[in-house]
Amino acid sequence: MNKPYNNKAWLGVLPVLLIVAFSGVIPLMTVVNYSVQDILDFNSRFFVGFQWYTDTLQDPRFIDAFLRQLGFSASVLLLEIPLGLMLARGMPRQGLAASLLLVLLAIPLLIPWNVVGTIWQLFARSDIGLLGVSLNALGFSFNYTANPTHAWLTLLAMDIWHWTSLVTLLAFAGLTSVPPAYYQAAELDGASKWQVFRYVELPRLKGVLVIAVLLRLMDSFMIYTEPFVLTGGGPGNATTFLSQHLATMAVGQFDLGPAAAFSVIYFLFILLFCWIFYSSVMRNND
Amino acid sequence: MLHLHHTRLAPDAEAFEHEFASGTLNVVLGRNRSGKTNLCRLIAGLNCSAKGDINLDGEMISSLRPQARSVAVVFQAFVNYPNWTVAQNIASPMRAQGVARKNCSARVNQLAEVLGLENLLQRLPNELSGGQQQRLAIARALAQQARVLLLDEPLVNLDYKLREALVLELQGLLQQTDTTVIYTTTDPKDAFALGDQVLLLDDHCKLQAGSPLEVYQRPVGFIAADLMSDPGVNAFVTPATLVAAARHAAVRPEHVHLSAEALGSEFSSFDMQVQGQETSGDETFIHGMVDGNRWVIRRPGMVSVTPGQRLSVSVRTDDILRFGVA
Amino acid sequence: MALIELQELTFRYPGAAADTLTPVSLSVADSAAFALLGASGAGKTTLLNLLSGLLRPTSGRILFNGEDVSTWAGRQRNVAQVFQFPVLYESMNVADNLAFPLRARKFQAAAIKQRVEVIASELNITDQLGHKASQLSLFQKQLIAIGRALVRPDVSVVLLDEPLTAVEPKMKWRLRRTLRRVQEELGVTMIYVTHDQTEALTFADQVAVMGDGKVLQVDTPERIYNRPLHEFVGYFIGSPGMNFVPSEQLHSSLSLVPGTKRIGFRPEWATLHAQNSAHINGRVTAQQLQGTDGGGLVGVQRLATEAGDLAVRGNLQAQVGQTVGVRLEQYLCFSQQGQLLVTPHE
Repeated sequence: MNKPYNNKAWLGVLPVLLIVAFSGVIPLMTVVNYSVQDILDFNSRFFVGFQWYTDTLQDPRFIDAFLRQLGFSASVLLLEIPLGLMLARGMPRQGLAASLLLVLLAIPLLIPWNVVGTIWQLFARSDIGLLGVSLNALGFSFNYTANPTHAWLTLLAMDIWHWTSLVTLLAFAGLTSVPPAYYQAAELDGASKWQVFRYVELPRLKGVLVIAVLLRLMDSFMIYTEPFVLTGGGPGNATTFLSQHLATMAVGQFDLGPAAAFSVIYFLFILLFCWIFYSSVMRNND
Repeated sequence: MLHLHHTRLAPDAEAFEHEFASGTLNVVLGRNRSGKTNLCRLIAGLNCSAKGDINLDGEMISSLRPQARSVAVVFQAFVNYPNWTVAQNIASPMRAQGVARKNCSARVNQLAEVLGLENLLQRLPNELSGGQQQRLAIARALAQQARVLLLDEPLVNLDYKLREALVLELQGLLQQTDTTVIYTTTDPKDAFALGDQVLLLDDHCKLQAGSPLEVYQRPVGFIAADLMSDPGVNAFVTPATLVAAARHAAVRPEHVHLSAEALGSEFSSFDMQVQGQETSGDETFIHGMVDGNRWVIRRPGMVSVTPGQRLSVSVRTDDILRFGVA
Repeated sequence: MALIELQELTFRYPGAAADTLTPVSLSVADSAAFALLGASGAGKTTLLNLLSGLLRPTSGRILFNGEDVSTWAGRQRNVAQVFQFPVLYESMNVADNLAFPLRARKFQAAAIKQRVEVIASELNITDQLGHKASQLSLFQKQLIAIGRALVRPDVSVVLLDEPLTAVEPKMKWRLRRTLRRVQEELGVTMIYVTHDQTEALTFADQVAVMGDGKVLQVDTPERIYNRPLHEFVGYFIGSPGMNFVPSEQLHSSLSLVPGTKRIGFRPEWATLHAQNSAHINGRVTAQQLQGTDGGGLVGVQRLATEAGDLAVRGNLQAQVGQTVGVRLEQYLCFSQQGQLLVTPHE
């Protein structure tokens, strides 16, 4: 009834609303607009309805890229989340060592993404790269430019190196919020290390892990720069994921209509995955 | 004078009116989640689900921001500015009101002395003990010289003995100012020690208001009687009466005498089946059953009983509290 | 169930200037209800952590049933602890929470089931065994934490660290009575650490009062109250605590033990009278109403006297500002160091 009401708050939000409108909402609407038209050049456009959408969904190259993308995201999640958790558990909670480790962990996250791709591209080269040369010296004939399996493995290694720190930092923050009394109680109960993890730490890390999985899922699904720099999508199209396929269509071939439809489908997929995951976890919490 | 109109402490609670007279020490007594904190937040202007019209000395302050209201608050958790010294903390409300730095120091020193912090002026809050931190919070609230001072269970996180000492200090301190003080608590002892007036809250509704003695001797209902007794009040239901008559009469634990001590026509006797006893040195609590009701008796000194014993107890007729239809 | 002995135990935190615990020697009988009472900073939490194995003593020994456990880890000592707030495994239900310590020690499933049922019926929570632990009230959660502490049949001692802190005031009584009943019925050795004298004196058969890292007195609640061996114990127990008056300030009619420097008397051991028949004279400065008795008001009256500020409990006869005399019905004599001197009066 008489709650203090502050209208000035709207003024503070207005600039943000305008910027988001210009940089996000209006371009998105433009893309949706393009996706239902056939564009030959600026003056000749024809409304084609959902034709581009059906074409894209039935295009074998799209389906291949999509399956590759799913495989990549699944591998990334399966490897990075447990690894990040283990690292967070192994870290000391306080003191100088903890601070130093936190800084070291943050470094891979701060490197520009194309630089990450370049670093690994050189690192894994079988003629002058440290990794490539060492592997070849050990007897493996390692060549990521020619062998699709090697290309995938190198990509995964690069992504793990780049992004596991994010999971570790999030999990570390979650772990520091566990009151020491819980560890003490588990110790007096005689719990094993696994039981402590499973029954004391994991329930409390749930919120943090949801964030970590959501972030990695979305980011890995959208990944573009690093694989483009590292393998260029090759050998052949062994490592061509959705984003690169889209870029080729839109920028390389200038098929704006199909590319726009592709973009919208891409966007909706990511939204769908995240919604499924989020609501299933949140439902468990109630 | 602080006047509350059409106040609802929760969206579906009954609206009530209440007046806090100027310069009085008011204790708001209620169980956990009965609306005490909502009342404080409403008066201070903080975000909460309570709604109401608040009139302070003739002006309506309900639509004012908290900064514009002349209200100071001391919270349950010790809240102080962590990176300012004690002196800077006490001066902070004065600086916020625009007082120049050099004019603050006289008042800062005076408040520090009154609250026993004069030797700690250069320390940081995390170097102080719990009791000292809470005294700092009180000093900071007093420095604001607000017309209303709210203390929301300020001593609940402190040690027993410290609480005892601070209640005594607060009593002396708060009576000297002409601020309207509102102190919330769950302990009836605080109501007696601090209150000129007591307001009883239950389930976000106003139960009763009056001086501590009035509320103690003439409670309006079973819950009002229960709130002013620790342990709770003893219910009177004999098997012959209807279930609906339950909670229509009660007697306080301290008014039940051992029959050996008390005889006379103004006493009624009952048989108690003793189940156990507890002593805190100056008092003994005897737990048992009387006519199918759980009773607790509170006697001074040490009394020795054995579980299973049948004890004869007496109650003065005048001490029996009756509410509603007899 | 074990006999706990502490022999000359000291502890100093690394980097601290002084010992937190000066030599402490204590003995807790098997199956006893024992309370450790002291203000914050007195060292009782340190003592608790030494018993549970969280800290190692700087010197001295801890014995469980005669065995030196001072260097043993917490899990080897077979102790259990109840904390200030309910510490449970939130993702499990009540039955699994209770069974956890037994499962961790690899007991047989049938034995586990039976023991859980015994403990649940002891605490009257049998109908909640299937509920998820996170959905219960604070009182119920703390009951489960206590149940988990009791579930091992051979637990040496249950340590309780201010277990009523998080519980609602009205429920504190119930929880305290439940603890006492369970302690007696199961015969478990319990050590209850608190700063609240009511909790300590109502729970325990033996109370140890700590001050400044020392154990000042170990005795039954009655004797702690009526015969404090040290001035601090007299001050700390009782609300308000004991009054102390220098012996020179008293009327000469009181007989004192030689060497007495101060007299101590509890607020209810004194009455107010006219000035000429009193031992100490003073003026009433404040009155604290506490209730009614036989129609008259009772409470604590605070006086300012030449011997200091005093508190007297009883009927509120005098008015604020009135000059009165205080008559001592009972008192104790203390030496210069604050020790109790044996007195002919009781």
